[in-house]
Amino acid sequence: MAVASETQSVEKILEIKNLKTSFFSDEGEVRAVDDVSFNVFKGRTLGIVGESGCGKSVTSLSIMRLIPDPPGRIVGGEILYQGKDLLKLDLASMRAIRGNKISMIFQEPMTSLNPVFTIGNQIREAIGLHQNLSRKDIQDKAVEMIQLVGIPSPEKRVSDYPHQLSGGMRQRVMIAMALSCNPHVLIADEPTTALDVTIQAQILELLQKLQQKVGMGLILITHDLGVVSEVADEVVVMYAGRVVEQGSVAEIFKHPKMPYTRGLLNSIPTLSKDPTGKIKKKRLETIPGIVPNMLHLPQGCRFQDRCTYVLDSCREREPELRIIAQDSEMPHAIRCARDI
Amino acid sequence: MNTPNSDDVLLSVKNIVKNFPISGGFLSREVASVKAVSGVSFDIRKGETLGLVGESGCGKSTLGRCLLRLIEPTEGEIIFKGQNITRLGPSELRRLRRNMQIIFQDPYASLNPRMTVETILAEPLEIHKIGRDRHERQQKIFKLLDLCGLRREVMGRYPHEFSGGQRQRICIARALSVEPEFIVCDEAVSALDVSIQAQIVNLMQDLQKELGLTYLFIAHDLKVVEHISTRVAVMYLGKVVEMATAEELYGNPKHPYTRALLSAIPIPDPTYKKERVILRGDVPSPINPPKGCHFHPRCPVVQDNCKVAAPKLKDTGEKSPNRHDVSCHYVDV
Repeated sequence: MAVASETQSVEKILEIKNLKTSFFSDEGEVRAVDDVSFNVFKGRTLGIVGESGCGKSVTSLSIMRLIPDPPGRIVGGEILYQGKDLLKLDLASMRAIRGNKISMIFQEPMTSLNPVFTIGNQIREAIGLHQNLSRKDIQDKAVEMIQLVGIPSPEKRVSDYPHQLSGGMRQRVMIAMALSCNPHVLIADEPTTALDVTIQAQILELLQKLQQKVGMGLILITHDLGVVSEVADEVVVMYAGRVVEQGSVAEIFKHPKMPYTRGLLNSIPTLSKDPTGKIKKKRLETIPGIVPNMLHLPQGCRFQDRCTYVLDSCREREPELRIIAQDSEMPHAIRCARDI
Repeated sequence: MNTPNSDDVLLSVKNIVKNFPISGGFLSREVASVKAVSGVSFDIRKGETLGLVGESGCGKSTLGRCLLRLIEPTEGEIIFKGQNITRLGPSELRRLRRNMQIIFQDPYASLNPRMTVETILAEPLEIHKIGRDRHERQQKIFKLLDLCGLRREVMGRYPHEFSGGQRQRICIARALSVEPEFIVCDEAVSALDVSIQAQIVNLMQDLQKELGLTYLFIAHDLKVVEHISTRVAVMYLGKVVEMATAEELYGNPKHPYTRALLSAIPIPDPTYKKERVILRGDVPSPINPPKGCHFHPRCPVVQDNCKVAAPKLKDTGEKSPNRHDVSCHYVDV
């Protein structure tokens, strides 16, 4: 979806620097997001991938400052938007940005809509909060948004309740709501996970089309590497709260260097008539073991127990995220001591 | 795998229909019904895996449960090892269930949080009177744990102490405890992360080889289904629209719905730009399915005839030894 041509420099709209978010329980501190940095560019899509519990959703909630406190707290780092650190804003100024300039869509369209209000009501609320428009203009804008996301007969649908819509339609309503104030950044947290493949294809196509139209930066959080490769320009791979590999989509999928990224790519079954010409595997490759307990992280690299390339030094010192190729806006970097 | 020989068919279903009544109005009369499954027939052969795919609401889970009579089918027959089980009474049914088990999608919800792994695995053994005493049962449980890749020390633990993948292993161990021949896997790996999913898929394939199991593998993830299945059936709105060997179905899909479904799978390779058939609209309501072919409102190649006449599932693979059943008026053979 690279809209910006390669020669033209791309504009950073959101900078996350050394973000640290922890949850405090009786048993100790869980560092759900531990020193995560990345940039979001205008008109481009950043994919964040990883398995459950790797910190990808906590990262997005931290950007929105929606971490429930207690038990959670953002303990360090900066989130720079238009030169301002979002983490230093007071609640009122944050509220003016959230849902307006930076908005978010969640995985569960069923639970994120209020069942006792019509969808029109809920979209109007978002517009009314952030834009100074007359009642009639707000109504027109709501209908326009419903039309924009491809829901048929929007004038009628605007007075429907969420239960009258299918899952795909509800997700469209969420997108309409998130885009109603023309955000600069849209965070989509597993927007298609609860949907069927044919509906997923519709929603992804819609997101791409709308992105090109309004030029927003999109953060797409997913566990589906297929979706990332089709939609994203840059990728961040997370594991146990850390960024373990990052770079352009082309680079990460062609030359994955971190053993975890390789493992993830290899554990997806390939189609036998795979258009990419890969040969179907008789047996799936797996990553042995499970993710470490976040309360008792091992000393050294967090992936050491599941890694087939592990060295003694991996058990002593955790490798830094190091850049291995300066090939694009997001240089290819890995958190691994080895060159494999 | 030529024409199915009556000996190697383990289970065959004939024209299964399941309607769920919707009651309403004064006196709660039946006002309509959800036509979850409308006339499905197929055979499952010993030792094979039949994959069943389709979007949510297409009736695949209902069908899977009908086979085990966890849901009573409205019409049709289920024949398991030559015996018609459609009308069996409760006690006979219980004996039969030793041979047919089910693994559910959500390992969190299908294990009792108050029972230890040992009691979870011992319960089916006690119900079916397998093993003479506690000691023998315990030995059997050890064997099951080994088989499913769990350590023996986990016996005394509770389900919440395990990760999703391990819980699914416990569910598999429980299903295997009564030594069934046939297992329905209803979205058994859908809730798991990819790296864990691969572990469980491999485990299921190993167990199949080792114990000669037969699977009905219900899932919406087309990649996993192709990987594990011998044959695949595609369902849409209560009907099977296409059925063939996995290789044939994925390599040469004939029904427009199957084609659209396959083209919608995201491929993890950014250099590959494919042509997508994006279906418009949603799956229609099964309360009031469209007339004629159920797929016609979304079909990219719809003809007038499709809106009136419902196509029948028929074999189109004349030249090949394997059947390729498609339910479409306009299959370009």
